Amino acid sequence: MKNTSNRENINRKEAIKKIGNYSKYAALTALGTYMILNPQKTQAASPESPGTGF
Amino acid sequence: MDKMTTLYKVIENKTITWFEDTNKYLVLENTTADIIKRLNKGVCVKEIAKSLSKKLNIPEGKSIDFILNLEKDILKPKTSKPIDIINDYRDIKRPNKYEFIKFYKVNDIVFKACFLSEKELSLVHPKFAHLSIKNVKHFDNELEVFIDHNYIFLYVNNTLIDSWSSQNMHYFQGKFSMMLIQKIHQKEEEKWMGIFHASAVSNQKKSILFLGDSGNGKSTSLALLQSSGLICLADDFVPIDSENQEVYSFPAAISIKKNSLEALLPIYPELETSAEYHFKRLNKIVRYLEPNNTEFFSHLPCNDLVFIKYEKDSELIFKQISKIDAFQQLVPDSWLSPIKENAQTFLDWFSQLNCYQLQYSKNEEMIDTVQKLF
Repeated sequence: MKNTSNRENINRKEAIKKIGNYSKYAALTALGTYMILNPQKTQAASPESPGTGF
Repeated sequence: MDKMTTLYKVIENKTITWFEDTNKYLVLENTTADIIKRLNKGVCVKEIAKSLSKKLNIPEGKSIDFILNLEKDILKPKTSKPIDIINDYRDIKRPNKYEFIKFYKVNDIVFKACFLSEKELSLVHPKFAHLSIKNVKHFDNELEVFIDHNYIFLYVNNTLIDSWSSQNMHYFQGKFSMMLIQKIHQKEEEKWMGIFHASAVSNQKKSILFLGDSGNGKSTSLALLQSSGLICLADDFVPIDSENQEVYSFPAAISIKKNSLEALLPIYPELETSAEYHFKRLNKIVRYLEPNNTEFFSHLPCNDLVFIKYEKDSELIFKQISKIDAFQQLVPDSWLSPIKENAQTFLDWFSQLNCYQLQYSKNEEMIDTVQKLF
């Protein structure tokens, strides 16, 4: 397929300049990104050992 | 706002934050954790927003919105708590007679385990069959297991521990194992830092934990390692004590899946016949390999976590991995004590661990690599 998009290669410095004022909001978004990890509520064996269900 | 009990631990470039009300762990950016800490201390939003705006060079309004959102998502408790169905089990009668009665001896402690039928037996006994002794009159603890109205019940020394539906069988098995651990090591639940879904190997001086998704070859690797002279401390269910953060021995046998038989049969010919457990009525075969540990009171420090994977035709990959990545994999698969002191111990213990990834296809290379870690 022919690439019809107008691609422009820019380096990191130019990219930061282009983002300009918006980069600080990217930093804010990064601060709001986090991971929640819940441990098991009670002790568990492997689900497959020695057989599940009855 | 009510103050919430939290713990903070900086690991690599993140802050792991623990919340007592839900026993959950959040991996936060350091600045975000700092905001949470200040909010929780009662510092007003405007003041926090001011410093955030200065730091990021953004308008104060944006900072206020951000902080209020964080407060809502992280610090405000969710109101919709699922309602627990309370069951007083008044109608449940303990059976008068059990079809199977087994006696297990762990060092000098004797357990009497009563199973209503082959069904209950099949869920527990294969793991502990190697500990069986002939019927004795004197025992230290009695465990009773029976299914009634589609729930499985566990009594220990005449006290009802809990009941589980058939979907929660692994929790029943987990609790059964937990009861054994408590009795073997004479430590109640609140004394344990956590139970890890891992395999623990020792050289009698220290231990290493092997983790990985089901099917990655944890138990197979453990079987190979114990044939190389290392000791199997625990398989599938690894308890760590809160006081000394040591891995304690758990006497269950190593479960062997069908697809690892080929690799293990040359080393353990007994897997062909003696390690097989047939449940004729249930039409089920399971295979369990006896651990080579003979001292079930042993406990050893652990400074290394290895995420292990057997991958056919793979080159040996052995490298240190990010602790944050390791933490993400470890926590959802583990039972971690909800007690504040134990959570603090867990964070401190985890922060000084070495975490590795080990992928292999050649058994000898894996064994060599692990031997060098000791």
